[in-house]
Amino acid sequence: MAIWVKQSLRLLQHELRRGELTIICLAIVLAVATVFSLSGFSSQIKQSLINNSTSFIAADRILQSSSPIEQSILAHSDKNSLNRAEQIQMSSMVFAGDNMKISEIRVISDSYPLRGELLVRKHSGEAPVVEHAPARGTVWVEPSLLKILNLSLGDKIEVGVSTLVIAGIATQIPDASFSLFTSGPNVIVNIDDIAATELIQPGSRLTYKYLFSGDTSDIEAFEKWVKPQVNESQRWYDIKSRQSPLANALNRAEKYLSLASMLGIVLAAVAVAVASRRYSHRHQPTVAVFKAMGASLKHIRKLYLLHWSLLCLFSISLGLVLGFLLLQAGLFAVSDSLPVDTAEFSFYPFIVAVVTGLICAIAFAVAPIKSLIETSPLAVIRGFSELSSNVGTSNSGTSNSFFSNSLFSNVKAKLKRFGWQQLLPISALFALLIMFSGNVVLSLALLLGGLIVALILLGIGRLFMNAGRSMGSRAGKAWHLAMANLRRRASENSVQLVSFTIAIKLLLLILVMKNSLIDDWQQQLPDNTANRFLVNITEQQVTSVGEFIEENNIQASEFYPVVRGRLSSINDEKLVKQVSKEENKASDNGRRGVGRELNLTWRTTLPDKNIITEGQWWSETLSSDKKTDNDAELSGQVSVEQTLAKRLEIKLGDILIFQIGSETVEVPVTSIREVDWQSLQPNFYMIFNSQVLTDFPATYISSLYVKPDKMLDLQLFLIQYPTISMIDVDAMISQLRSVIDQVSVAIEFILVLVVFAGSLVLVAQVQASMEEREREIAILRTLGAKGSLLRASVLYEFLALGAIAGTMASAAMELAVFVLQTQVFDMQASLHPQYWFLGVFVGAGFVGAIGYISCWRLLNMSSVTLIRRTM
Amino acid sequence: MLTVGLIVEDPKAKSIHSKLLEINRANKAFFIMNLNSENILKVRALTKSVKLEEKTLDLLQDINLDVNAGDTLAIVGSSGSGKTTLLSILAGLDLPTTGEVYLKKHSLHQCNEEQRSEIRANHVGFIFQQFLLVNSLTALENVMLPAELANMDNAEQLAKDLLTQVDLGDRLDHYPSQLSGGEQQRVGIARAFISKPDILFADEPTGNLDSKTGRHVADLLFDLNKQFGTTLVLVTHDLKLAARCQRQVIMDSGCLAEGKVEDIVEGTVDVIVEGIVEDTVKDQVETPAETLAENPAGTLAGTKVASEG
Repeated sequence: MAIWVKQSLRLLQHELRRGELTIICLAIVLAVATVFSLSGFSSQIKQSLINNSTSFIAADRILQSSSPIEQSILAHSDKNSLNRAEQIQMSSMVFAGDNMKISEIRVISDSYPLRGELLVRKHSGEAPVVEHAPARGTVWVEPSLLKILNLSLGDKIEVGVSTLVIAGIATQIPDASFSLFTSGPNVIVNIDDIAATELIQPGSRLTYKYLFSGDTSDIEAFEKWVKPQVNESQRWYDIKSRQSPLANALNRAEKYLSLASMLGIVLAAVAVAVASRRYSHRHQPTVAVFKAMGASLKHIRKLYLLHWSLLCLFSISLGLVLGFLLLQAGLFAVSDSLPVDTAEFSFYPFIVAVVTGLICAIAFAVAPIKSLIETSPLAVIRGFSELSSNVGTSNSGTSNSFFSNSLFSNVKAKLKRFGWQQLLPISALFALLIMFSGNVVLSLALLLGGLIVALILLGIGRLFMNAGRSMGSRAGKAWHLAMANLRRRASENSVQLVSFTIAIKLLLLILVMKNSLIDDWQQQLPDNTANRFLVNITEQQVTSVGEFIEENNIQASEFYPVVRGRLSSINDEKLVKQVSKEENKASDNGRRGVGRELNLTWRTTLPDKNIITEGQWWSETLSSDKKTDNDAELSGQVSVEQTLAKRLEIKLGDILIFQIGSETVEVPVTSIREVDWQSLQPNFYMIFNSQVLTDFPATYISSLYVKPDKMLDLQLFLIQYPTISMIDVDAMISQLRSVIDQVSVAIEFILVLVVFAGSLVLVAQVQASMEEREREIAILRTLGAKGSLLRASVLYEFLALGAIAGTMASAAMELAVFVLQTQVFDMQASLHPQYWFLGVFVGAGFVGAIGYISCWRLLNMSSVTLIRRTM
Repeated sequence: MLTVGLIVEDPKAKSIHSKLLEINRANKAFFIMNLNSENILKVRALTKSVKLEEKTLDLLQDINLDVNAGDTLAIVGSSGSGKTTLLSILAGLDLPTTGEVYLKKHSLHQCNEEQRSEIRANHVGFIFQQFLLVNSLTALENVMLPAELANMDNAEQLAKDLLTQVDLGDRLDHYPSQLSGGEQQRVGIARAFISKPDILFADEPTGNLDSKTGRHVADLLFDLNKQFGTTLVLVTHDLKLAARCQRQVIMDSGCLAEGKVEDIVEGTVDVIVEGIVEDTVKDQVETPAETLAENPAGTLAGTKVASEG
């Protein structure tokens, strides 16, 4: 075995055993473990959330079409080993003797649903069971239909020209629409019976849904193939494509998980960078001695490359094991609320963690290791403290460089040394961020923002330390000493301070965003969230329903009148094509319409959670123009929801023409509104003032929060009004709550991981300054400083550093949170003063504790031992 | 009793610096005359200067020196006189600004770092004031290090033998932190001799030890040096230790002059640095007379100077 191999192994073995490599090892181990567990956890949780949420659409992906799709698409899905089911939806009248009811007919194939469960009660008094499709000749219906048509299990109904037997009551339909304006109760029919019903005729308004599910890779491959083939009358979507509270929660959760992972990686990378500098610094004496004894540069290079490689290999392996255990612990912790399909375990986290470990180990260690290898043997004579100020300069071979470099101004030397070795870690970090976010702009913003903030923090940190010194001079001895120490090591402390600040800032950021997200979700779903909607209330029924609500003290929204109408023209320009509302592209021949009838309402006041973004609401118009009520009433006005306005390029002052029944209505746009679609309340694209629609026949809608003890009363009350439909959104709300709870648990676990990474940065940074402190403490001890004075001064120094870092971190956090809330999470920006104090106190406490504990051993050493160690 | 001519003879007329330069020039003839007798180290017109911003600082000026194989040479001088700078150049750790340095026919001043490393591995041994053992290696492994770098086959056995010789045979597996200062320096001495260097450079080898331990370590150093027949170049400001060498040279303000410890102490050499003598006086006072009597080589009065001159 070559000598350099022997020596390298020997050094590594002893150093590992003696714990001398603990910090660098821990940094790499945690970087790998954090990345492994974060990416593994995120992807598993995302997948699991999506899997669980796909029950809302009964599939992983859906191809919706207004006509049957080509068989080749179905054949291709079979080739991709996907499961598929078919569903045809239409509105039709259902008859039972003399009674009839407009219903939502769902024609399903035997494999429906692919995700989620269709629960059917087949006998009265029995619990519902999981089912797929009714047998031929039978139907399953929603309970409200039985009530309205006065039917029971086993009775017959007429669907089209067929008579079908009611064989079950559908108590849970996985993809029951979130929309409140479905035409009636669901009637589930077997797809093999549909031809006999003769419901499908030329010109029938039908919605064909082709449901697909399968392994992620298979479904993604199919998606890649099928998407370009989707035409204007078709739509390809998944659970996240839909505008719903759930999709929004999922998207935000996914963004949060990605952000947390990215910040975790930044922290882990900083820890590796700090630790590798310390590694280099600690090994300089060894290299100098080796060189003085005659070891060549080549020998040292090989020795340390092997040493570093083995160390990294060991640490990365350990990190993978720890990461795997952490991941399992995390998944176990959330398993109650979020069952994870471990069969879907992928190698992605493993690969990402190894790549991250290698990038960190190479990019962040190149400069320190290069400077280590180039340590001058002259250091054995001159001492290491002098040479350490020249990290990165090889000077042994040149006659004057050592002295000149050590004495030149720091700034000049730093600028001179700024080269590819410094660019490498920055580039590596950038590459890592891109790898995780897949977003170049976001990564660049994060990186550049981070660098600018770091530079600003460096300057502010120096100011704080200067201020601290003048304050310290008026304080007691220990404070005075602590502040003097801060000032004396201003350069090193500034770097340390920036590291502390960044670590605390990122921790605060993750904490604030977590709480902000969860609060935001919970605000959308307070305890008294509407759990029932009443629709199809006639004008005559409004009074009695209102009275019932009041008598029973039920919390309810007001009654919104609804008139169905179609937007036909904008400024005399006819909307030539009417396709689904999700198609956003403008046609060459003109603007596309909404593709369906809209629910139009009118009111005098702006509804809750609606914000006017352009123009004025009519009540405001009235007051500002000092018009009378009559004047306002005379001129029709409409307020348009902003996304629709944007899609149809509707501007203030545009004249919209609506087709309502056989009549047309012309009305100018006087305001554009932002609507919170996540609020579980009736929301409308178009709101008119009362003049325009009052003459049209309208039905009314209201949302209620009905306590369980009032539920029976409401049901009994509604029996007398069979035309009123009650929509139960309890299941949806509880499912949504469950998703939010699951995401909350997941992001709390991720927070813990990020805190680990942040703490490591702090520990590594404190450890990096330990040798310098050791020397100082030895000198002060020798000069007769009491142990209590030294202990207090060390504690105060770290407390001050932590408090300054916490203060700066709080400010930086607010800035970052503002950007994230407004630009990434689409939330309302807000200040978080409660976290400012937390930043300062936790910063001071955390840094103070870590610093004090790290110095504890030194502070309790006898003077003789200290002096001997520092000799 | 020590009587010392501590003060420069004519402080008004000449500086110590210029006096040393004169002495150095006077001795040049002698140095040249001795070139042919097993010369292991030769220094000619060596200077070392560094630039401090706009100013040039001369650390060494016109140094000429010859050391023959087997010589023991002490370089004495106060702190900042340039003796450590000189040592680092003589040992090939640093390069001169001008001048020539030959070590066993190798012109060090013309060698690059790699070549000088090879020369150090094959010809040079070191003992440091700070011991400079590798903390993460055991005593045995520290001693083996130079032998391994010189590709010697029986490094481990040699290291064990040497450690036994310095009374550390039972501490082979101990780490430096588990050894006292004296023990660490004994490991350092064993390490210095293992590769049987042609020349050994010792930088204040007892500077970090108390006087008793220092004497013990010095005894070991000189005993092993005698046993191995190594040339020893010792940098010290301890006149007692310097006196144990055959030759002494004095450094002051970057200049070198040949001298003898007796002359320094008795004031016959009129250039002397107060610090050196003060240290010596202090040490003399602390050293029991009996110890001094038992070990005449350790006393100034009994120093037997065997300079070639």
